Amino acid sequence: MKQYIFFFLFLISSSLLGQTVISGSVKARNDGTLPGANVYLKGTYDGTSTDTEGRFSFKTLKTGQFTVSVEFLGYESHSEQVTLNGKEIELAIELNETFSKLDAVTITAGTFEASDKKQANTISSLDMITTAGAAGDVFGALQTLPGTTTNGESGRLFVKGGDSDESQTYIDGALVHTPYNSTAPNTATRGRFNPFMFKGTIFSTGGYSAEYGQALSSVLLLNTNDMPVQDQFDLSLLTIGPEVAGTRLWENGAVTATLGYSNLQPYMNLVPQNFEWKKAPESTAAAISIRQKTGKTGMLKIYSSFDNGRFTLGQFDLDQDTMVDYGLRNRNFFVNTSFRTTIGENLTLSTSASFTNDRDKVSFDGNHFDKSLKGFHLKQTAAREITEKITLRGGVEWFTRSLEQTYRTPADTFVNIYDINTMAAFTEAELYASKRFVTRIGVRLEHNDYLNRSSLAPRLTAAWKLDETSQFSMAYGWFYQNPSDAYLIYSDKLNYERADHYTLSYQSTRNERTLRTEIYYKDYRNLTKQGQGEFYLSETYNNSGSGFARGLDLFLRDKKSIRNGDYWISYSYLDTKRNYKDYPKEAIPGFASKHNLAVVYKHWFDKIRSYAGLNYKYSSPRVYNNPNSPEFNGEKTIAYHTLDVSWSFLYKPNIIFYGAVTNLPGFKQEFGRRYSETPDESGLYRSATIVPGSGRFFILACFITFTKKGTENQLDKIQ
Amino acid sequence: MKTTLITLTMLLASFAGMSQKNEYYQAMGETLGQYATCRTVEDFQALGNRFSMIAGNEKDEWLPLYYHAHCYIIMSFMEPSDAAKKDAWLDEAEKSVNKLVAIAPGEADVFALQAMLCTGRLVVNPMERGQQYSMLSGQAIGRALGIDPSNPRARLIKLQNDMGTARFYGKDTGEYCSEAKELLAGWDSFTPKSGLHPAWGKDQAAEIVSGCK
Repeated sequence: MKQYIFFFLFLISSSLLGQTVISGSVKARNDGTLPGANVYLKGTYDGTSTDTEGRFSFKTLKTGQFTVSVEFLGYESHSEQVTLNGKEIELAIELNETFSKLDAVTITAGTFEASDKKQANTISSLDMITTAGAAGDVFGALQTLPGTTTNGESGRLFVKGGDSDESQTYIDGALVHTPYNSTAPNTATRGRFNPFMFKGTIFSTGGYSAEYGQALSSVLLLNTNDMPVQDQFDLSLLTIGPEVAGTRLWENGAVTATLGYSNLQPYMNLVPQNFEWKKAPESTAAAISIRQKTGKTGMLKIYSSFDNGRFTLGQFDLDQDTMVDYGLRNRNFFVNTSFRTTIGENLTLSTSASFTNDRDKVSFDGNHFDKSLKGFHLKQTAAREITEKITLRGGVEWFTRSLEQTYRTPADTFVNIYDINTMAAFTEAELYASKRFVTRIGVRLEHNDYLNRSSLAPRLTAAWKLDETSQFSMAYGWFYQNPSDAYLIYSDKLNYERADHYTLSYQSTRNERTLRTEIYYKDYRNLTKQGQGEFYLSETYNNSGSGFARGLDLFLRDKKSIRNGDYWISYSYLDTKRNYKDYPKEAIPGFASKHNLAVVYKHWFDKIRSYAGLNYKYSSPRVYNNPNSPEFNGEKTIAYHTLDVSWSFLYKPNIIFYGAVTNLPGFKQEFGRRYSETPDESGLYRSATIVPGSGRFFILACFITFTKKGTENQLDKIQ
Repeated sequence: MKTTLITLTMLLASFAGMSQKNEYYQAMGETLGQYATCRTVEDFQALGNRFSMIAGNEKDEWLPLYYHAHCYIIMSFMEPSDAAKKDAWLDEAEKSVNKLVAIAPGEADVFALQAMLCTGRLVVNPMERGQQYSMLSGQAIGRALGIDPSNPRARLIKLQNDMGTARFYGKDTGEYCSEAKELLAGWDSFTPKSGLHPAWGKDQAAEIVSGCK
C-alpha cells in the first residue's frame, strides 16, 4: 500500500517543478517540546506531525506564497508566511498556551462547588445525594463539609461561627425564603427540596460574590436540572410513605409532576421514640417542574411546589409541671422561575424570580400562634465577556418580605406585622491576568425601606495557581444582613448587621486526591442586642452587639487509594465569641463547637451491584446556659457522635432497593438542657435534657422506574 | 476491495490533474491507509492531525470530521488512567461530532460514532457518569438504527452496550452470540457508499464471536 503511495507521489513530483522541504521544531513557550503537533501548509494537503522531540519535516510541491499552520490541543494556533521556491525552509516555532477558563485558576477560597462538568471538583453532585446519614437532605450532606458545625437539635446550617439564619439558599438565582421544614422547638429539621432536582451546587462558606447579599455567613446556590431526556414514570416506596413522579417530553420542552405522601405513624409504632407524639408527622407534597427551550440559547425553568404538613407533639412544660400538646400545621407554597439567554457571542442575560407563601399554625396549651410569611424576590443580571480574560457582571434585585404574627390566648389577641422592601444593585469584574492569576472585584449596594438604611459592600477575591496541581486563594469582603424577623417585628429603628470576612485557602489536587486547608477570620459588628425592657417595645433593641470567629478548615478527598472506594475527611477548628441577643457579655454561643470532624466513605461492590456508604461525625461539646448558675453559658453538653450507614442494591436495571440507619451504634446524643421560664418555690429553674427524637432512625425504600425501554433506573438517586 | 478503490481514486487523481477535489480524495485515501499501521496514541494523534487538516480544507465533507473524532475517541480509550487527558481528547472529538450532527444528520454512522463518544465519557468515571451516559449512548444508537437498521457499526455498538449491561447484572452474555454471529456473517453484505466511507468494526465483531463457545 505504502509503496503505491510513494510511487504515485514520485510520479506526481516528477511531473512538476520541484519540491521544497519545510522542517523545524515546535516548542511550548514555557514547557519545552511538543510532540504530536499538527504542522501543515494552509489550504493544501501537505503537512505532518511533530515527532517525540517536537521536530518535523515535510515536503511540498507547491510554489509561491503560503502559510504554515501549527496547531496543538491546548495551545494557540500559530501561522507563518513562507515563500516556497525549492529552497529548504527551517522554522523554530513557539506556541502559547490557550487561555481557557475551564482549566484556568478558579477561586476556591470558601467555596465548595459540586457539578459533574469538571474533573477537579472537590465534591460532585452525586456526593450531595449519596452521603450516608443525610438520607437525601441537601443540608445534611453539606454538614459533612469543613466549616460547618452540626447542631443535632436544629438540622440547619451553622457556618464558620455563624448562626443558622446567617445562611441563605438560592435556587437558579432566586432566593428561597423558607428552605427548611417547620418543626417544633429543639427537633431537627430537613430541607424542603429533593436533592435529585439539582445538577449543580455551590456552597460558599465566606467571601462570596457581590451578587449575593443578605447573608452574613454563607450562601448555598442550587442549580436545577436541565431538560430530562425521556418520558418516564417513577414510583418510590419508602417506609415513611410513597412518592410518584411522571415526566413527559415535547419538542424543546418537558414537564415533571411529583406527588408524595409521608406519614411516620406506622414507623413510630414499630420503633420506640423519645418523644411523645400525639400525631406523628404527616405531609402531602406536590410539585411541578416545567422546562422550555426558547430560540437557540434560551431556557425557561419553572418550579412550583405545595406542601402541607402537620403533627402534634406532647412536651413537658417545665413551668406548669405537666404535659402540654404542641401542634403545628404548615402550608408552604413556593414558585421559582428563571430564564436565561445569550445574546450574540458574549452577553448573557438571566432573570430569576421566586415567591413564597408560608403559613405556620401552632397551638400549645390553649394558645395559638399563627405566622404568615410572604416573600418575593426578583433579580435581573447581565454578564458580558469583554475579552476572554475580562468579564463584567451586574444586576439589580428587589426583595420583599412580609410577616404577620398573631398570638391568641384565651383572653387576648396580639397581632404584629411588618413589611420590608430591599432594593439592591451589584457589579463585579472578573479579571484573568493569565491562566495562573485571577481577581474578582465587586461592590454591592442595598437600600432597605423599613429601616431606611443603605449599605455598600465591597468584595474582593483572588486566586493564584502555583503549578498544575496547587493554588492559593484569598477572599475579603463586607457582608450585611437585616436583623432577624424576631427583632424587626418589634422595631424599625435597627441597623444592618455586618460581618467582614478574611479567608486564605490552599488547595492541591493530584491524581484524584484533593487536600484543602483554609484559615479565616470573621469580624462581626452591629449585631442586634435585646436589652432589659419589654420584648415588644422597639427601645428594647439596638445594634450594639459584636463578635468574632476564627478557625481552620481541612478537607481531604481521595478517590484513588482504595479500589472502588472513595472517602473524604473534613475537620474544622472554630474559635468564636459574640455578644448578641440577650447575652450579658461576650461569650461562646451555644451553636458553636470547637472541633468538628466528618469521615465519609463510599464503596461500590460490583459483584453484588451494591453501593455502601458509611459516615462518622464528631462534634466537641457545646456550651449552654444554666440560669441557676452565675456563669453565663457555663455548662457543657456531651460530645456528639454519630455513625450512619446506607446500602443500595441494584436488583434489576429499573429496580433499586435501599436501606439506611443513622446512629447505628446508638451513641448517646444530648444537646444540653432547657430550663423553665420562671424559678420554682425553692428559687431554682427546673430543667430537662434535650434529646433527639429517637436513638436511631431506619429507612427502607424501593425505587422503580418505568420507561418505554425499561432499562433506566433511579440509580443516580441513591447510588 | 478498499485498497483497490483507494488505488483507483489515486490513479484517477493523478490522471485528472490536481484539482482540489481530487487532492481531497487522494489525501483521504492515503490517510485512511495509515489506520492499519496505527499502534500508539501518538500514531492516532498524527492521523487525527491529518484528518483535521483535510477537514479544514473541505468544509462540506463529513468524512474527515468523522475520522478526526474517531481518532480522538480511540486515543481516550487507549489512555489508561489520566482522566483529564481522556476528557480533553473527548472534548476535541465532541466538537467534530457536533459539527457532524449538523452537516450530516442523515448518516447512521454519525450517530453510531456519537454513541461511541458517550461510551468514552462513561468509562472516564463509570460510577458518576454511568447513568447519564449509558442513556445518551442508547439514544444515539437508537437514532443510528432508526436511520439505517442494517448499519453494522451501529449494530456492533448496540451489541457491545447490551453485553456490557448483561455482564453488569451478572447475566449470561451467551444469548448475544447468535446476534453477534449473524452480524459478522452479514458484515460484508453491507456496502459502504465509497471506499472513503466508514468500514471498520469487523475485527471487533469477530472478537465477540470468538469469545462465544
